[in-house]
Amino acid sequence: MIADLTRAERQWAMMILGALGIVGLAMAVAGRNDLLGIHGWIVLAAGLGGFIAFMRGKDAPEPSDDRLNEYYDAPTRLGIILTLLWGVVGMGAGLWVASLLAWPELTFDAAWASFGRLRPVHTSGVIFGFGGNALIATSFHVLQRTTRARLPDQISPWFVLLGYNLFCVIAASGYLMGLTQSKEYAEPEWYADIWLVVVWVVYFAIYMRTLARRKEPHIYVANWYYMAFILVVAILHIVNNLAVPVSFGSAKSYSLFSGVQDAMTQWWYGHNAVAFFLTAGFLGMMYYYLPKRAGRPIFSYRMSIISFWGITFMYMWAGSHHLHYTALPHWVQTLGMAFSVVLLVPSWASAGNALLTLNGAWHKVRDDAVLRFMALAAIFYGITTFEGSFMAIRAVNSLSHYTDWTIGHVHAGALGWVAMITFGSLYSIVPSMWKRPSLYSAKLVEVHFWLALSGTVVYVFAMWNSGVIQGLMWRTYTESGTLSYSFIDSLVAMHPYYIARAFGGLLFLLGALVALYNVVMTIRMPAPATEDAALDIPVQPALQAGE
Amino acid sequence: MPFDHDTVVGFSKSFGLFYLVTLSVIALAWTYWPSNKKGFDEAARLPVREEEDRPWR
Amino acid sequence: MFGLHYKIERSAIGLVTFIVLVASIGGLIEIAPLFTIDETVEQAPDMRVYTPLEVAGRNIYIREGCYACHSQMIRTLRDEVERYGPYSLAVESSYDHPQLWGSKRTGPDLARLGNKYSDAWHTVHLFNPRDVVPESKMPAYRWLLRDPLRTDDLGNHLSALRAVGVPYTDEQVANAALDAYGQANPETAAADGVAERYGSATNIRMFDGVSTRLTDMDALVAYLQVLGNLTDAAHQPNQPEAE
Repeated sequence: MIADLTRAERQWAMMILGALGIVGLAMAVAGRNDLLGIHGWIVLAAGLGGFIAFMRGKDAPEPSDDRLNEYYDAPTRLGIILTLLWGVVGMGAGLWVASLLAWPELTFDAAWASFGRLRPVHTSGVIFGFGGNALIATSFHVLQRTTRARLPDQISPWFVLLGYNLFCVIAASGYLMGLTQSKEYAEPEWYADIWLVVVWVVYFAIYMRTLARRKEPHIYVANWYYMAFILVVAILHIVNNLAVPVSFGSAKSYSLFSGVQDAMTQWWYGHNAVAFFLTAGFLGMMYYYLPKRAGRPIFSYRMSIISFWGITFMYMWAGSHHLHYTALPHWVQTLGMAFSVVLLVPSWASAGNALLTLNGAWHKVRDDAVLRFMALAAIFYGITTFEGSFMAIRAVNSLSHYTDWTIGHVHAGALGWVAMITFGSLYSIVPSMWKRPSLYSAKLVEVHFWLALSGTVVYVFAMWNSGVIQGLMWRTYTESGTLSYSFIDSLVAMHPYYIARAFGGLLFLLGALVALYNVVMTIRMPAPATEDAALDIPVQPALQAGE
Repeated sequence: MPFDHDTVVGFSKSFGLFYLVTLSVIALAWTYWPSNKKGFDEAARLPVREEEDRPWR
Repeated sequence: MFGLHYKIERSAIGLVTFIVLVASIGGLIEIAPLFTIDETVEQAPDMRVYTPLEVAGRNIYIREGCYACHSQMIRTLRDEVERYGPYSLAVESSYDHPQLWGSKRTGPDLARLGNKYSDAWHTVHLFNPRDVVPESKMPAYRWLLRDPLRTDDLGNHLSALRAVGVPYTDEQVANAALDAYGQANPETAAADGVAERYGSATNIRMFDGVSTRLTDMDALVAYLQVLGNLTDAAHQPNQPEAE
């Protein structure tokens, strides 16, 4: 990695790392009586560690200009590995919290191991660690291929990837220490939020600078989705995280908003994090990798544009369906419900577009588990968006809200759509990224596919059942007009489903481990002997992950 | 507050509808504008084109 | 018209602008009116602020992630009102930065929990839930009784809350740490100051049953016992019926 940079770039990198180290030191000093200090030390270690690595590598010879004739894939390679590692961490944490609901004593009297602290490690680990790294890695890959332009410089992609992972580490370690804003999917505290904004600005700049240098007249639609993801997540993140810290030496902050305004802002954020982080970005992935793998252009390019604008416009209104029957004004609830239902149109346009692209290539779907991952993702996308629109109807929501049905819905989307499209996309680029003729084992992809599918089905059915039972028990009356069940009755009824859910999660986690093994073994396969390919292999990118 | 609640809500409801319709018409017109078709067809073939896996310069 | 669209499509900046235009409007239209809602929402002249000890307890509630399994928002549905009490009003969480309405009920709703159970019940329940509710799936929070409560920075917490709009007085900010101690030690002189500054309805008790030292348990129980009791507005007879 360092040897790939020019001298001037190395100096820039050292200045950035030095500045990071100083910020870390300042945090450690200012927060010496607070948990902020521990994060200061982590930031200092990251800056200093990187700086030392550069000190040792700074005299390496300059890279040759030949590098400019190749796409810049080293950040994508590390991003793929980080995606898989975070996937295992996040899904592992998920299995743990699922088990805690079946067997609550698994906390072992340690504060960091209790459900409330581990749950955000699971949600952030899979959404931001696994999903975010997958988006960054694939966006760099797709951006370069569809513009036929190399990334604009060699530092900023590393800054984005490593800086983003520093954010993830700060977030996850903070949860274990009890640092959280309590805003769902926006738990990290104020200083981590500011850092993410810096990273995000650089990410956006990479996109704009690469697009400005493009060879193709048209910006391929996948890039639109990635750009919507970057832009809208920035807007959501900044608005939802506005807060006043207790002091500059304290990790704790108080949200600028309160009560009903805060609830609406939070779910405007929360729902659109699903829309633009977990949907738009991954649709970008689907619109590039699925046609590529199938060897057929997308069925209708125009339909993909219509669904793009449909999704971008309508998702923003739908957040209030999280607040049906609450103290939120009635007209806002109704508006959210209406847009949620109409949202089904662009969502199904995307899912249908993907499946119609495969029409005529079903034999490939049958034979190729990688393409099958993507086809299944499109199907789950269709199912989940239908379910989402359905659950946003007030009457349905009165039953489903606060129950496990919501959890089932989220996982149909997260496991069935997000993770499947990610695994399919990663499998399809891993061989070319490491210049290997193929994956280490096609059979293991097949094993992973069936583990992932069965895990998802078990999980989702368990949660649908438990959610509907729970919702019905809460509202069942006896003949004399009193409530039939106590809350504890409903909790007891959930127990078998919680065990089934943990088992489904276990299957899915095993699949992710198989994927990690398969990718590592692919990287470790001997490279083909051609001179051209040998030139292109980076110097052990994985070993420098800590920089 | 310079505006009262009913004014803001009224503006939201009327202007929001106007805004929705206008933007939808623009997006639809542009997507189905006949002369744009050629560009879209070219773009659609971008991922499946056979070419060297290198930047253009 | 064609020229304009062609440029938008060609230029990345045009695309970015259009995305921002399209995406931001929905949020603006739904959220902006909520900031003028104070004019129409129910009034609660009796609304009181959280005491420093309750603020600290609320932060422990957040720290331990209680909101992941407990909601604090009773919906306007008949079964919820019968199970938990009068449905929640917007005004009741107007000092909650951020709100803790929650999205999941693995455990029951807590919006009206205050003074429903005794302090001793809460202390035992938090120490090991299965001692009082054998079927419970809640984690045991034994460290709450072990860990002393940090009070030295509570003044800063109150001023940060004041900066975002909670009406704390200078006197309340200045005495934050003392008031936290006083609220959990009813026999001391510090306790009188709490009643004076926060009103006579304030719970002043040995929440964890031990007077000598202030623990995280004192703070959390103090917070749980005030839930739903900041104002009487929800109990007034003029509220519309639940559905």
